[in-house]
Amino acid sequence: MLLLGIDVGGTHTDAVAIGPDGLEAQVKVPTDHDNLLSSIKNGLSEIVRNIDPSRIKQLNLSTTLSTNSIVEGKFEDVGVIVSAGPGLDPHSFMTCKDFHVIPGALDHRGSETRRLDNLTLEEAIASCRKSGVKVYAAVTKFSPRNPAHEKEIGLAIGDNADFITLGHQITGRLNFPRRISTAFYNCAVWRIFNKFADAISGTLDEMNLGHIKVNILKADGGTMPLPLSRKIPVQSIFSGPAASVMGIIALCNITHDSIIYDIGGTTTDIAIFAGGSPLIEQEGIDIGSHPTLVRALKVQSIGIGGDSTISILEGIVRVGPNRLGPSIALGGEIPTLTDALIWKDSCVCGDIGKSKGGFAAFASHKGFEPDELADKAIAYAIDKIHSSTRELVEEINQQPVYTIHELLENVRIVPRKIYIMGGPAKAMKMDIFRKFRLSTEVPENYDVANAIGAALTRTTTELELFADTERGLMFIPSLGHRENIPRNYKLEEAEKDAMNHLLAHLGEMHVAADGSNAQITSSSSFNMVNGSTTVGRNIRVKCQIKPGVVRIHS
Amino acid sequence: MLKAENRLGVIFFPAFDWAISPTHPEREERLLYTQDQLREEGLFDIEGIREYKPEVAQTEDIERVHFCFPEAEAIATRSHYISSGGAIKAAKLIMSGERDRAFALVRPPGHHAMKTIQGSRGFCAINIEAIMCEYIREKYGPKRIAIIDTDCHHGDGTQDVYWHDPDTLFISMHQDGRTLYPGTGFPKEAGGPKALGRNINIPLPPGTSDAGFMMVMENIVMPILDDFKPDLIINSAGQDNHFTDPITNMNFSAQGYAALNSLLKPDIAVLEGGYAIQGALPYVNLGISLAMAGIDYSHVREPGFNPETLRESSEVMNYIASLCDGIRDIYFNPPKESSEGVISGKWSVRHRNIFYDTEGFTESQTESLLLCENCRGLLKVETQKENGPMGFGIEIPAAACEKCRNTGYSLLEEAQIKSRYRYMQMINRKDKDYLRYGF
Repeated sequence: MLLLGIDVGGTHTDAVAIGPDGLEAQVKVPTDHDNLLSSIKNGLSEIVRNIDPSRIKQLNLSTTLSTNSIVEGKFEDVGVIVSAGPGLDPHSFMTCKDFHVIPGALDHRGSETRRLDNLTLEEAIASCRKSGVKVYAAVTKFSPRNPAHEKEIGLAIGDNADFITLGHQITGRLNFPRRISTAFYNCAVWRIFNKFADAISGTLDEMNLGHIKVNILKADGGTMPLPLSRKIPVQSIFSGPAASVMGIIALCNITHDSIIYDIGGTTTDIAIFAGGSPLIEQEGIDIGSHPTLVRALKVQSIGIGGDSTISILEGIVRVGPNRLGPSIALGGEIPTLTDALIWKDSCVCGDIGKSKGGFAAFASHKGFEPDELADKAIAYAIDKIHSSTRELVEEINQQPVYTIHELLENVRIVPRKIYIMGGPAKAMKMDIFRKFRLSTEVPENYDVANAIGAALTRTTTELELFADTERGLMFIPSLGHRENIPRNYKLEEAEKDAMNHLLAHLGEMHVAADGSNAQITSSSSFNMVNGSTTVGRNIRVKCQIKPGVVRIHS
Repeated sequence: MLKAENRLGVIFFPAFDWAISPTHPEREERLLYTQDQLREEGLFDIEGIREYKPEVAQTEDIERVHFCFPEAEAIATRSHYISSGGAIKAAKLIMSGERDRAFALVRPPGHHAMKTIQGSRGFCAINIEAIMCEYIREKYGPKRIAIIDTDCHHGDGTQDVYWHDPDTLFISMHQDGRTLYPGTGFPKEAGGPKALGRNINIPLPPGTSDAGFMMVMENIVMPILDDFKPDLIINSAGQDNHFTDPITNMNFSAQGYAALNSLLKPDIAVLEGGYAIQGALPYVNLGISLAMAGIDYSHVREPGFNPETLRESSEVMNYIASLCDGIRDIYFNPPKESSEGVISGKWSVRHRNIFYDTEGFTESQTESLLLCENCRGLLKVETQKENGPMGFGIEIPAAACEKCRNTGYSLLEEAQIKSRYRYMQMINRKDKDYLRYGF
């Protein structure tokens, strides 16, 4: 049995095959940004050349397709229809020109406080139809408490749309502006992503790999099955950094609070682990000009990488954030961090002689001893990484908490170990160790860790359950599930129901549901009092399949 | 993308695991829907608005303000330490310049807690605003501070804490004490002998709505503030004037609260009361947050808001208009003598019985102020809870003269020798010396 992992990166597409005995094949091919499919196909053909295709069970794929089309603005026009009720002016969250606000309101418990205005809705749809819009996002305030208005808008759009995203299907978490932009992006990339998914399936069939189950990586360090990803393509944004983090988890046995660095050509990605688990962004990731509700690992990118240019301004040596070309060692002209590392004999890559020559010439031109320049450049890069990490840890430790218990327990993250991967990892290991004085590890196969991470990442999912016993109602927004509950429904039953629905949902996606990875992430029950009588309980439960990797070999 | 005009820090601490009792108005559910509303609005995604977690106050922060008998730890729960720590965090954000404004959305509240505390009154045990203000003065030096209390109940605790302090202007607007707890807060309560005109009470008739509050703001509060020129403006932001509040009788709205806040421009707002946890708090808190940040709040409307039906009768408006002139005069032409206390030798002495409604006991208290020519005077308190032991407190103010300072220490020594008191506490703000004796 083999698991394949492909990570389409900025420069290279990495592919690996992993079996019970470990890594069986690995390959790096250049990424062709205008034709991601061909990069994937090339990687795949290299891998299957020496492997019996029938042994392959699964392919996990991380792709920059959705990210790039959003960042570059190459996407389809979307009709966005929202209903807001009282609060901030919804026009502040206008994502595109076909943006319509319909009068109507729900409150925080999901009660309708104003009916949806059907006349305005009809006019909005007519206007979108006139602009030739074929994909629609319908988002109403507090829809995770009651999706009725979103459903009403969806019904009214009906056959006018090739695809509709209803806000509550994205997540049960609250944040109306983010729900608008997430639904908008989901529609915007829907067609381009589905064409890509078709092409992937077609390619696999052509290569006699039709039996492989394909999963797409998500930014939260999990995967989703290809058929599901067709409905929620927005979940595939920023899966690259997640693949790296999962790679480190696969290659190392992380148990402490730790810092993870993925030092690439242009940037260094910093991730923080609490205990053995990666931290998740509290709300969701930002992309384009809007923040979203897409769950993501907390990863901070800084402009320091192997290819970062060395510059000198008024005698001060800096590295990055610009990248003006490859290192001198690889044919560039301006010295980079990698060239500085080569000068100090920490790094072996490309044309060493040319690198050292170019570096020394640059140094003397600027009036520096080459040794001094290299030391200062490396120290600058390490200082930058150090201070950004401290800021990130401090920010995480400042995050709000809402109970006395949490506040007094004072759960602070204190990193005890550093893991480094990416091209310059080995070369910078000792300098980072000297700065932090923390145990520092560079795993084997650090150069393809992201593809390994992709290959071994588990399918994850999360859901929120919301119950209001005064109304006798239980609701799971992302599944669109609603059921009546007795007045004595309790927190324990809600937790049980949430877990059962989570596992059943995985079953529907044909994912072997492993209960041991399912966990409740938060649960609370509030007495609702009217006058001085308890009229019911307001129950909220969140649960998830923990992000993690499959251990197929030990 | 929205950007705030003022950088606003919101310290949100709903204490989701603490309540006086399961069905008490001041309970876990109180800030639940506010949190839902702020999250759903995406308030913390707005550029310039940031959420912070509270700090935990130290016992010293409490004992700098209050005479606590038998001791702070016995009166304040951990929850109180956190809500006052939340207010302190707000102060730090402002004083350090990290934020332009701060809103401490914390519970439990504190404005009924008086100078001397033996227990809990009106859902309050320690005065979180006063703890914040004195923290500021201790760490950042002397400041002229104005506290504007917009809670529906008279801020009798804050009034008491600052009764003798001419550098703190306390203005409380509230539902008339003849119709609501705690039954105090009348214009004649204008401050102690050394701080006359620094304590302003504005009792409003039941049914006062947006126009009435704005009339008071424009005719009393703003002119006084313009004259007092405070270094800091604090809003004790109680939200129980709302027309849906279950324990009061006023007609104020979310729009009104936001407008009041826009005019007042407080540096720091601290949440006080407000018990319409579904129909009012989410909207009022949102309105105040937006107003403080300088963002358009005109779309914030609570369900059932109808300005026509809420509008005050002309009698109510006429009554408020007649209040305005008289009350403004208390600040500009303060009375010659305090309405409370008698002069006995060099001391101004008040005897009081204070009822602790939450716990159901009465404290009897004698408070004396040494009338000094050179400073605001030495404060002395003798107190006894029903059938309980005697407590003694003495406070030397920050700007005390040498004589008052020395008198303070000799009175403390005398009290120790007499051993009439089980508990003794000295608050010496001049030398930052805080002592406690007793068992």
